[in-house]
Amino acid sequence: MNDKMKIFNTYHPLGLFIYFASAIVITMFMINPVMLTIAIISGIAFVLTLTDIRTFLKNLAYEIPFFILIALTNPLFSHNGVTPLFFLNGNAVTLEAVLYGLDMGIMILGVIYWCKCYSIIVDSEKFIYLFGKAIPKLSLVLSMALKFVPVFKRQYRKISDAQKCFGYYATDSYFDKIRNALRVFSCLITWSLESSIDTSVAMKAKGYGLKGRTHFHNFRFHIRDLFLIAVTLFMDIVVFTGIGTDIIDFRFYPKITQINLNAESIAVYGAFIILMFMPAFLEIKEKIKWKYYVERI
Amino acid sequence: MKKDLLIIGFIVLLIAVLINGTNIQSVDEYYLTHADDIQEDSETVFLTIRCDTVLDNIEDLDKGVAELNNIGDGIILDRVEYVLRKGDTVFDILDRATRYNKIQMEYQGSKENSYGTVYIKGINYLYEFSCGELSGWMYMVNGEFPRYGCSRYELKDGDEIVWVYTCNLGKDVGGYMAGDENE
Repeated sequence: MNDKMKIFNTYHPLGLFIYFASAIVITMFMINPVMLTIAIISGIAFVLTLTDIRTFLKNLAYEIPFFILIALTNPLFSHNGVTPLFFLNGNAVTLEAVLYGLDMGIMILGVIYWCKCYSIIVDSEKFIYLFGKAIPKLSLVLSMALKFVPVFKRQYRKISDAQKCFGYYATDSYFDKIRNALRVFSCLITWSLESSIDTSVAMKAKGYGLKGRTHFHNFRFHIRDLFLIAVTLFMDIVVFTGIGTDIIDFRFYPKITQINLNAESIAVYGAFIILMFMPAFLEIKEKIKWKYYVERI
Repeated sequence: MKKDLLIIGFIVLLIAVLINGTNIQSVDEYYLTHADDIQEDSETVFLTIRCDTVLDNIEDLDKGVAELNNIGDGIILDRVEYVLRKGDTVFDILDRATRYNKIQMEYQGSKENSYGTVYIKGINYLYEFSCGELSGWMYMVNGEFPRYGCSRYELKDGDEIVWVYTCNLGKDVGGYMAGDENE
């Protein structure tokens, strides 16, 4: 299915931006494992509704080693905690530090998934629509930076294919393969520096950022956009109250605190669940509707 | 293929060297430290560890540490006499004493910072910045605050070491040195 056929994609950029900003920012500054679990599961659910499961599994091959790396690095550098497991060069490797590392890993993976969804839904067109007038230079730079990785990937393929056509890189050695990849990478860097200048010059030639210049866009503000913003802001208020008043406070050092499970904290968790699962829910609802209509034909 | 094998061999060698350089101890091994018995002719030093300044600034204390409730009356180790081995520094005595008394202690090794000397990050779960952003551990020998790290100070017979926790850059324990902020 095309990206354009996603229901979340048809919302107004303003609502989408507020939604993603709050989802990513809240996830980023969370330590509480319950909140992070909600964030990562909802992130995975949303990614799965946007892309197919094969890409998801393929990316997992990079993400799991990354996760393990983060989880292992923390106990090597952080020795606080009341439960030492063993001692490394005179400093303790503690259970608390290991669990904190796992927690951080979940947080970073959660943010990665949410950023992935963001880059699929809020493309550069939407971003420039929102910020092109107010901060033209920064929004151009940001939109270029955000689509940098996919463009980079595509260009990498192109360069390496072209060089293979010349007969380069016919080798079995893994070491040589890595070295060749580095060579292509250096081409890529040069290319990206040049193309970014090209882009900005082209945009300038088209009069981007000049006064009185209008944009074509197809965005309309509907009642449902207002609804999305209202729900997002309301849930934000609940969650931030929870953060501000220590209701969902959680500490790893020096001793792991008990997870709060009273009525207030459950209310905050509930609000966060509603906030984070909203897009996945909308997508699934839309899919079911689509199937239902197809069957009726 | 030959090249690959060579590289893999090199990586294995590197890992072997790394593992060889690390010292892994179990918890029991770590705390199983022998403090020499005091003989009549042995040289000794005295060690005290206290953090009573925290009691005056209890509102700044990190919540996690406060929950542990391990500050008590502010004395972590009350003036104990230890045998001085040849070449012992302040850090060696502290390390031995904390292990012997099963007190938690974390330090930054002398190779890990730019001062070339050991830095004590925390004792008894009380860390730097645990009680306000100007807090941390300092030491004095015979009532004076040396201006260098604890693993450089070589002790002599009868020295009196006191580790104190400051909540205000040393001003509250009398160890404030003007110009410290610039260092």
